[in-house]
Amino acid sequence: MSGQYLNTLTENASRLGMRIQESFSEHTRDLTVGRGSVAYLDADDKSKLLNIRKQLDSNSDREKLDAMKRLVALISKGRNVSEYFAQVVKNVASQNLEIRKLVYIYLLRYAEQEPDLALLSINTFQKDLADSNPLIRAMALRVLSGIRVPMIGSIVVLAIKKCAADPSPYVRKAAALAIPKCYELDSSHLPALIQIITTLLRDRSPPSLGGVALAFAAVCPTRFDLLHLQYRRLCKILPDVDEWGQVELMNLLLRYARVMLPRRDEEELDKDLQLLLTSTESVCYSRNPAVVLAATRVFYYGAPTSQLPKIVHPLLRLLNTSPEVERVVVVYLLVITKSAPGLFAPFYSRFLVRSDDFPQLKKDKIKLLLNVLSVDNYQTVLREFIDYADDTNDEVVAEAIRALGRCARQVPDSVQHCLTALISMIKSPHDVVVSNAVLVLKYLVQTQLDVGSSSVARTSQSPLSIISHLARRIDDIKHAQARACILWLVGQYGSSNSRDGVAEWAPDVLRKTAKTFGDEAPLVKLQIVTLAAKLFIVSPTDRTLGLLSRYVFSLARYDMNYDVRDRARMVTSLLVGVAPNSLVNGDEQPEERSGVVLRREQIRLVLFEGKSGVVNDEPSHLDGTDDENVMIGTVSVITDKPMRMDDVLPDWLERGVESSLRDSEDDAPPLDVPMALSSGGKHVMKGVLTPPVVLTPSGGSSPRTGGAWRDLDSFYADAEEESEDEEEEDGDDEEDDEEEEEEEEEEESEAEEEESQSEGERNS
Amino acid sequence: MGIDGLIVLDKTGRPIIQSGFRSASTAYPLLHVDAFNHALDNARRPADVDPVLYIPSYNTIQSPSACCHIPCADMRFLCPISGNIDPLFAFAFLQTFTDILHEYFGTLSAATLKENFDVVYQLLEETLDSGGHPLTTSPNALRDIVLPPSLLTKLLSVAGANINTTINSGSGLGSAGGPFSSSIPWRKAGLKYSSNEIYFDMVEKLEAIVNKHGVTLSSSVWGKIQTNTRLTGTPDCLLTFTNPHVLADCAFHPCVRLQRWTRDKCLSFIPPDGQFILADYRFAPNTSTTLNPRFVPPTSSTSSPSAAISNLAKDNIAIPLSIKSIFDLEDLSASFEIILTSRTTRPIENLNIEMDLGQGAGGIKCIASRGSGGLTRGGIGGMDVGISGTSGASWSFDTKKKVLRWGIPNLPPSSSWSLQGSFSTSTSTPRPSHALQVRFEIQSHTYSALKVEQLKISGEQYKPYKGVRGRSVGNIEWRW
Repeated sequence: MSGQYLNTLTENASRLGMRIQESFSEHTRDLTVGRGSVAYLDADDKSKLLNIRKQLDSNSDREKLDAMKRLVALISKGRNVSEYFAQVVKNVASQNLEIRKLVYIYLLRYAEQEPDLALLSINTFQKDLADSNPLIRAMALRVLSGIRVPMIGSIVVLAIKKCAADPSPYVRKAAALAIPKCYELDSSHLPALIQIITTLLRDRSPPSLGGVALAFAAVCPTRFDLLHLQYRRLCKILPDVDEWGQVELMNLLLRYARVMLPRRDEEELDKDLQLLLTSTESVCYSRNPAVVLAATRVFYYGAPTSQLPKIVHPLLRLLNTSPEVERVVVVYLLVITKSAPGLFAPFYSRFLVRSDDFPQLKKDKIKLLLNVLSVDNYQTVLREFIDYADDTNDEVVAEAIRALGRCARQVPDSVQHCLTALISMIKSPHDVVVSNAVLVLKYLVQTQLDVGSSSVARTSQSPLSIISHLARRIDDIKHAQARACILWLVGQYGSSNSRDGVAEWAPDVLRKTAKTFGDEAPLVKLQIVTLAAKLFIVSPTDRTLGLLSRYVFSLARYDMNYDVRDRARMVTSLLVGVAPNSLVNGDEQPEERSGVVLRREQIRLVLFEGKSGVVNDEPSHLDGTDDENVMIGTVSVITDKPMRMDDVLPDWLERGVESSLRDSEDDAPPLDVPMALSSGGKHVMKGVLTPPVVLTPSGGSSPRTGGAWRDLDSFYADAEEESEDEEEEDGDDEEDDEEEEEEEEEEESEAEEEESQSEGERNS
Repeated sequence: MGIDGLIVLDKTGRPIIQSGFRSASTAYPLLHVDAFNHALDNARRPADVDPVLYIPSYNTIQSPSACCHIPCADMRFLCPISGNIDPLFAFAFLQTFTDILHEYFGTLSAATLKENFDVVYQLLEETLDSGGHPLTTSPNALRDIVLPPSLLTKLLSVAGANINTTINSGSGLGSAGGPFSSSIPWRKAGLKYSSNEIYFDMVEKLEAIVNKHGVTLSSSVWGKIQTNTRLTGTPDCLLTFTNPHVLADCAFHPCVRLQRWTRDKCLSFIPPDGQFILADYRFAPNTSTTLNPRFVPPTSSTSSPSAAISNLAKDNIAIPLSIKSIFDLEDLSASFEIILTSRTTRPIENLNIEMDLGQGAGGIKCIASRGSGGLTRGGIGGMDVGISGTSGASWSFDTKKKVLRWGIPNLPPSSSWSLQGSFSTSTSTPRPSHALQVRFEIQSHTYSALKVEQLKISGEQYKPYKGVRGRSVGNIEWRW
């Protein structure tokens, strides 16, 4: 009996123990999982993957969450997990927000592939749009507009419309951001979307305005007529908008200003333009580099030149934000300094190259230093260029040495300094330094000789003495291009100043190179042949020179390279008139020539003349005169490659539209100044009421974006509508600042009328 | 158009996190990853990769795009952009996003991101709209939407998801605590702390270039006011300085009222909760330019050169150390001696000197010692690392990047240190970079000597604990 009891007792006890252990291990398993999600990323066994389906169908939120995390981890690894779509969609209405967020992430990736199944989730989203939590409303709209299923286009439009009237600015922002996506999906919804944009533009709270500006640019970038009434308010509210919105809004306002405001004028600045500039100026205090740059664009492309100094310090500040930002901003500075070099010249020391800069940044900084080069700072900048020739990057070295040449051209006083530096560089053990220095020297010498003796006299080192210096060092210079360059210089100028003979150092160069002819590069061989011909023609009577030349010609005649053979043949036949016998070997007696035999002077002409043209160094894209294609604030100027959707700023209109079009009740004395938390806006109330009495609205003064009228009827219809508009505006101003609500209503009706008008225009 | 998405690569170049891309082609993100890895392979040094890479379109339908990328801890953040937008937009977003990650996870590394990848995905979803526009980037607002990982949330997730739901959805808490209930976009509503504190950390960074004759070519000091607030309710702070004229080229957090700044040169703001940067500034030692720093007209090119030079000299800030170096470059080898002397009355900490020895450098031998040399060479063999016993100075050579590092953890005032050594090159004449990169820190010191006069808090009853602290760092290029 007691044994039986004991038995059941132990049995129960062990069962209980097992149960406890089970649940315990289950919990501890969760704990280990909870310790880090890294387990999801690393887990790769097949059994777990098979389990996902079951987990998603289970009742436990924990299991579902686990499965969703696993799926997202797989997405992260680049796996295609669209096969679970059906199971995932079922969880879209989950009460757990975390599960739901993960489901959203999944849906946005795969909805396009499974449009039919995605439709199952639409109902839930529509229900969510009425949720009490703004976060859920916004999220539902975001996913709804993000699912790229064209079938639901009209549902999305309805959803956007609903959210555009939402009490929460966060949801209204989501609505604005959904507009471009909806338009991209199905452009036939354009009229409805434009209407929503018009509503949203009237939004009084700053957060949503950035999104609206973005939607405007994407959906109806030329419908500036919608902005007339909002322009001044948008300008004033700009400092209170969030940083990302500020960027979009400034781009929009700048384009509006260029289309609708009178051209920037030094003396009399349009007050609406001034309003924009004043607001923009306070935005320059932002810590966000993108905002500062957008503000710079407004000033650079919108402000008269007298106001440009305002962007100098904010831009200089950006240089210190991060190396990546510096890399980009320096290119923009290159563009700006091209048109206004004086603006940044006093701050050249901020552009000095550091050895840990990006190579591209170093090159751009060198160009920038050249742009701001002036009589005041050339000494320091020159010394910098000389230092940069020690850089470890070959391209930077080349750029620095080329810059020395440019420096000598831009500031004549610096020629002497440049020449000394370049000549000392020839002694460098590094190939790249020598070759670049020689190329630049050649260029400098040529320009010097071209200019004439006046400038030559000023420098103690005459171009000829430089050439002689180079000639003496021909043995040390190994780089093929540099050698060829020196040989050419020697040939071209080795004889110019002496009456009939050659300069004393020239024949020696020929002697040395004739000895090494076999080992030279083809490029150098060509120049040796040319040098021989030139020297020979200058003093044909010199026996040694004659023999040397003959030696060189015969070597070249049997060279492996056919260019060299060609050159030799050409030169020997050219010289045949001067020395028919001495140049050609005895066994190869010249057959009778059918061509013309040139006299010595003629040959001289052929060999020497027309070679002095100075070849400029390669032009960069920023040197071009077509500045219209080079815009600051674009990728294409950074990468120097055209991008699609090139964002072209509209050109200024000569006169702009009537400023009265922009009059709205907001211009009345401030009644409802929004609680300006950052109060960045100086809320300039300069826009005093101008009497908007335009009794006879002239169509010509307000350019239409909609195009020309097609027939008289629509023209008259339009004119009538417009005069109605004007009358209403008159009324507005008389009422002035009493009873805001009424005014608002009126404004709405007015705007609606404008809409219908513009719609009519498009339809016609 | 806009920012297309975000890709996080680990140090082997494989993606860890990838946001959703709206592009028509699934190959689009791969294209960017490949282009970046390719550029990285071709660069001599990893730091040489151009931060904006052009990605040509691979077919006619696709438009060309660009890849903006930044390094971050042991990872790379890639941000593909399409359309002709400003790359700064991408860089600003990358910066903001890494700041947010930093705020959420404390330290950033590939391991932490892997560990919290679900949170990262949620953050991405909230900060970047799939249309390419940043959404919510204020950390205060984000913390309401995406819960930061903490022990509590982990425990909750284990205990059961129900509690989690109620906390997350906000509907249970009513309008007071839910997301976006605050009327101030950067500050959480309804904050409560038992002890109210506010701390200001002024961190100033000296950036300078010194030429081989020891003349300072350019120097500027950039400061940040890092703020940490733990204040109840919505306090309105007013921060005044005794010497605000040293501040120039300022940039502010959106909470700062600009009108007050332009009028009174004081900072009036309702702070966000937690860590944030209140202001950036440049130290302007030359008072004449700081009185009205924003309206300095560009000096005309007619001013005399001497004026320009004296102007430059006046702007220069004294560099707290000096370096003398002798380099002797021969055909296949080079030897050098660097002598460093501290010139401040404060101890310099964590001094680090880096030198790029150029391609093919190797076989390095060095002796790091305190005092102006005097030790003979030959004590240490051909090792790539050396620590000399007593002084604490050490050196190391990165054979991959060809960078020689010389570290001194602590330099007492006016002490002198030296590094002697030699290296050889395999192929040709040594071609080291002609500059030493010097980095250091000085605690409780600011170059500008900016002083907080007073912090007044209105709108709340309590008296918070206030703290101000200064710190200096330096980044100097010393050429030879």
